[in-house]
Amino acid sequence: MRRKKAKQRASGPAVTTVVVMRLYIANNAPNSRRAVANLEAICKEHLEDNFKLEIIDVLETPLRALADGILVTPSLTKVSPAPAARIVGNLSDKSSVLHALGIEESVE
Amino acid sequence: MKPDLRALDGNPPRPNAGPGFENRILHLVKGGPERKAIEAGEVDAVMDPATGSALLLPEAQGALRQDQARVRSLLALSADWCWEQDEDYRFVAHTGAASGSSGIYDEDIIGKTLRDSPFDSMSDVDWRAHRRLLEWRATFRDLELRCTDRAGEMRWVSISGEPTFDGEDRFKGYRGTMRDITQRKQLQTLAQKRIRFARDTFDALAVQVWVLDSAGTVIMANKPSGTFAADGLGADVREGANYLEVCDKARGNERVDGAAIAAGIREVIAGGSPLFHHEYVCNSPAGRCWLDLTATAFPGEGAALVVVSRENIAERKRQERPPGPGRKVAKGGSAANSLLAALPRKDFQRLLAGLKPVTLTYGEVLFEPGDPIRHVYFPSDCVVSLLTTVEGHQALEVGLVGREGMIGISIALGMDRASVRALVQGTGTAMRMDAAHFRKEFRKSLPLQGELYRYAHAKLAEARQTAACNRFHTVEARVARWLLMTRDRVGSDEFPLTQEFLADLLGVRRVGVSQAAGALQRRNLISYSRGTIRILDRKGLEAASCGCYEVIKDL
Repeated sequence: MRRKKAKQRASGPAVTTVVVMRLYIANNAPNSRRAVANLEAICKEHLEDNFKLEIIDVLETPLRALADGILVTPSLTKVSPAPAARIVGNLSDKSSVLHALGIEESVE
Repeated sequence: MKPDLRALDGNPPRPNAGPGFENRILHLVKGGPERKAIEAGEVDAVMDPATGSALLLPEAQGALRQDQARVRSLLALSADWCWEQDEDYRFVAHTGAASGSSGIYDEDIIGKTLRDSPFDSMSDVDWRAHRRLLEWRATFRDLELRCTDRAGEMRWVSISGEPTFDGEDRFKGYRGTMRDITQRKQLQTLAQKRIRFARDTFDALAVQVWVLDSAGTVIMANKPSGTFAADGLGADVREGANYLEVCDKARGNERVDGAAIAAGIREVIAGGSPLFHHEYVCNSPAGRCWLDLTATAFPGEGAALVVVSRENIAERKRQERPPGPGRKVAKGGSAANSLLAALPRKDFQRLLAGLKPVTLTYGEVLFEPGDPIRHVYFPSDCVVSLLTTVEGHQALEVGLVGREGMIGISIALGMDRASVRALVQGTGTAMRMDAAHFRKEFRKSLPLQGELYRYAHAKLAEARQTAACNRFHTVEARVARWLLMTRDRVGSDEFPLTQEFLADLLGVRRVGVSQAAGALQRRNLISYSRGTIRILDRKGLEAASCGCYEVIKDL
């Protein structure tokens, strides 16, 4: 677990509650590094402070990842709000990440 | 974070590659999105429920291996090496390029705790404290330990460590770094030895030494500076005290010397002069002593600016004193005239250009009443009597000038001719200035004008007081007053004096002086033998004198 953030501040009509996510990575491996960077950029742009992110290293705690039903890393899961969602890969496809997180992309 | 790279730790490393590996992956990953991500090269690892571990894909494995290699090569470049301990704090690994040159070998420490290793610089108490830290699972830093290597050389290492935990947060042991700090320690020890040597030398000096900063605060004082604490002015100035303040606060007889010393030290601090020298006399319960004080500019960098040293030169002074008659008053100690000492530096500097040190000898008449005043004098350690002559009588003393004053004050008041006789009573030095030059300087310097007007007023008041005293007070009280005044101007409790001379000065018959001196001697206030007067009890003598002494002293 690397970082947790939580602060109430809505930035758009789509985001009214805190989004809780878990990102599963394999230490410092290239796709894992990329996934962390991509997700941080997306959160900064669309969620501001309205999110909680837990980063789990499967090399350190593999049993935790298995228990959570993770098959490959990097994987991102949205825990809440419902519905739960999962996306795999290095999160470079921004629109599918936003879709999985239930964030509507602004029209501008 | 410690990566559990079991797949990487094999030796030789076996890459996760080949058709068998691919089949295994495909077997594990059946879902469409996951397979797509693998094909797109966006996956680093696949979970294997059978082994409960993550299988790194070849690319990720290679990247992490490179990371590790990079850390290893950086470690090889550094002076540190790494170690690991198990749950019982026993060393289980000891790696790094620098470990070979440290003099500490695997067999010295592997399987042993730090306590059992050949380190010998920590006491049992230190070890217990360290052990407590470990039990708290605390990170420790820069624990410095000493050992003797196989060559018999003393070595020092610095150890830092942090606890490690497994996935279930169970304590696994400690790991950390070790660094050879032998060289640094050797230099430190050498530096400490040098500092101690310098300090011992400083304390072994026979003279008292104070090192001051720019504010006059004592930042260092040697041992002798605190030993003859009864030696008057500035004797009890410890580290942290302010030397200048002590001088400024000096009272009574020490005021003049205090002011002169403070002014001199300030001058050195301001960079106006590299050296200041002052000789003075002070009285201590142990007796009278001569002190020689020198302030020199401190050449080094840092806060220190002035070094003040002080030496008791009583012995040397005693030997220097010329024997025999001809000196009515013993030579005093102070080298500075307090009127000059009271001037601001700028004014003093300008005046100094026209001042010439001269020696005035006993019996010398500087001028007679009515004479044009050619020179003014600022006595340093001589004493001059001002006498008024009345036809048909002996000259009567109306003033006594020492280092606190000036001879030729009439010039400052606009009179070119003398109104009194100036007779040297005690041989010594004075600063002399040409009257014309003095007139010019006097007009230019407001502080000098202020000082001299104040002094002229004091002299006038003294003359008034003396006149009244001579008319109304007993001979005994007047003798006591004169002795005390002379003592203040000479800066000494002992001075040669004949009764005839004193009778002349006071305008009384010799027998009157004899009776008075005898009475004072019987009360053990003074002693008198072979032409030398010695004041034994200053306080008692003050009580015996008329109030005029107090009045004149406070002017």
